[in-house]
Amino acid sequence: MDDEAPVRLVDVRKRFGDLVVLDGVSFDIPRGATTAIIGPSGTGKSVLLKHIVGLIQPDAGQVVVFGTDMAHAGERSVYAVRKRLGMLFQDGALFDSLSAGENIEFPLRQHHPELSAAERRDRVDEVLQMVELPGLYDRPTPALSGGQRKRVGLARAIVTRPELVLFDEPNSGLDPMTSDAIDALIGHLKETLGVTFVVITHDIVGTINVADHIAMLYQGKLVAWGTRDEVTRADHPIVRRFLGRNLVLPEPGSDDPARLPKIG
Amino acid sequence: MMLLRVPLDGLQWLGGLAGFTLRWLRVASRTRPPLARTLEEAYRIGVQSLPVLLTISVFVGTNLTLQGYNAFVPLGGQRLVGMFVALAGVRELAPLIAAAMVASKAGTEMASQIAVMRTREQIDALEVMAVNPYGHLVTPRLYGILVVMPALSLISVFTTVASSWAVATWQLGLNSATFLEFARTSTRMSDLMTGEVKALVFAVIIALVSCYCGFESEKGPAGVGKATNRAVVVSCVMCVTFNYLVSQALYG
Repeated sequence: MDDEAPVRLVDVRKRFGDLVVLDGVSFDIPRGATTAIIGPSGTGKSVLLKHIVGLIQPDAGQVVVFGTDMAHAGERSVYAVRKRLGMLFQDGALFDSLSAGENIEFPLRQHHPELSAAERRDRVDEVLQMVELPGLYDRPTPALSGGQRKRVGLARAIVTRPELVLFDEPNSGLDPMTSDAIDALIGHLKETLGVTFVVITHDIVGTINVADHIAMLYQGKLVAWGTRDEVTRADHPIVRRFLGRNLVLPEPGSDDPARLPKIG
Repeated sequence: MMLLRVPLDGLQWLGGLAGFTLRWLRVASRTRPPLARTLEEAYRIGVQSLPVLLTISVFVGTNLTLQGYNAFVPLGGQRLVGMFVALAGVRELAPLIAAAMVASKAGTEMASQIAVMRTREQIDALEVMAVNPYGHLVTPRLYGILVVMPALSLISVFTTVASSWAVATWQLGLNSATFLEFARTSTRMSDLMTGEVKALVFAVIIALVSCYCGFESEKGPAGVGKATNRAVVVSCVMCVTFNYLVSQALYG
């Protein structure tokens, strides 16, 4: 059972009006690895992510997460699946009325009544340390910078020790240095936590360094799927055009998190 | 065609509100009321609405008195001012003023807060964190408004009558005892209770309409503005309509 893919996409189809957003997408997201879903803007990546967490239901096909068909399961089953995953939203989706630490503590308060206030605080401090923002518990959310919002959002996504963590455009809206720092953080957490990561991005240069597998979407179709090396060296013309401009293929071993840029 | 579209859109919107209400009822029926957050909301709504409610109630009382006095003097019935103000204030105006103030202060805040949360994916975040947004966002707001609305309505009643008494006796020179006697004998306890029940229904209308406007808002700043505007307009129209139906049934 443990070897089963945590996320299985089977011929997923979705259209909004006349616009076909997903056109028969099928692949399995492997357990314990980092999968990057790449593709140009507006090609259905975020919609695919929202299918995985059950915010959008497919018109046809199946989205099976931890063995649960998200489109047809009842609310209780969907919530049971969601308790096993964490998600970093594009802008962090932090609650402005709470401090940074209270935002991170939120899912613990909701789902772990067995934890005392001190235990919750310890756990929050631990993940704040992981995202390299120690001592930021009391900082008001509106006072956080773009990069800090992402990292607090990431801390909230991992605070419950989920088995699957999803990232929706972790680099969007960030300057190149902060963007690199977020990629480095994802690489570091990948090594530390050993859970399944799914990263949606159109900013591939940094993210590709931390990906084990890559799925490329183009106009709603899956045009490439495989290990990082398989996809980055593929001859597919669209893949080449998308990757070709900026991508410098990493040397073997160069994705060692210790060698990635550090957060300044 | 355009003429038909407005009522059809309105009906569709009301259908959406009914669906929203049912979804909330389903969640609320199986979860415990969040006591701490309800009291927090009640306190906030009360504190927010009270200053403006007092101000409006004072001047509604003063103006009712002036108009009543001017209308009754030619008929020699200036003693009836107390009755006029008490009937209009207790039965009709005080609950409506409270509703209008709560809709314009707390209702608009509910709609805009939730609409901003929709725009910034915070409602999606709640869903993904396995927290039902209806329970988390609607329940404490609705229960909070239910707690304070009857109190605000009562405060409005007494403020309206008190300011009316002040104008009647100090400015217009009417006899204080006569004013109070006519005010007291013309209204019954059941009038006060009807006002309280109206206030409770207004509370439900304002909370559900405002939250629904927030949930259904389009993304972006324009969507937030539209949701806020719609919340106060629809809440007020629905409260006034309901108020007429109740008054027609009880006093018509």
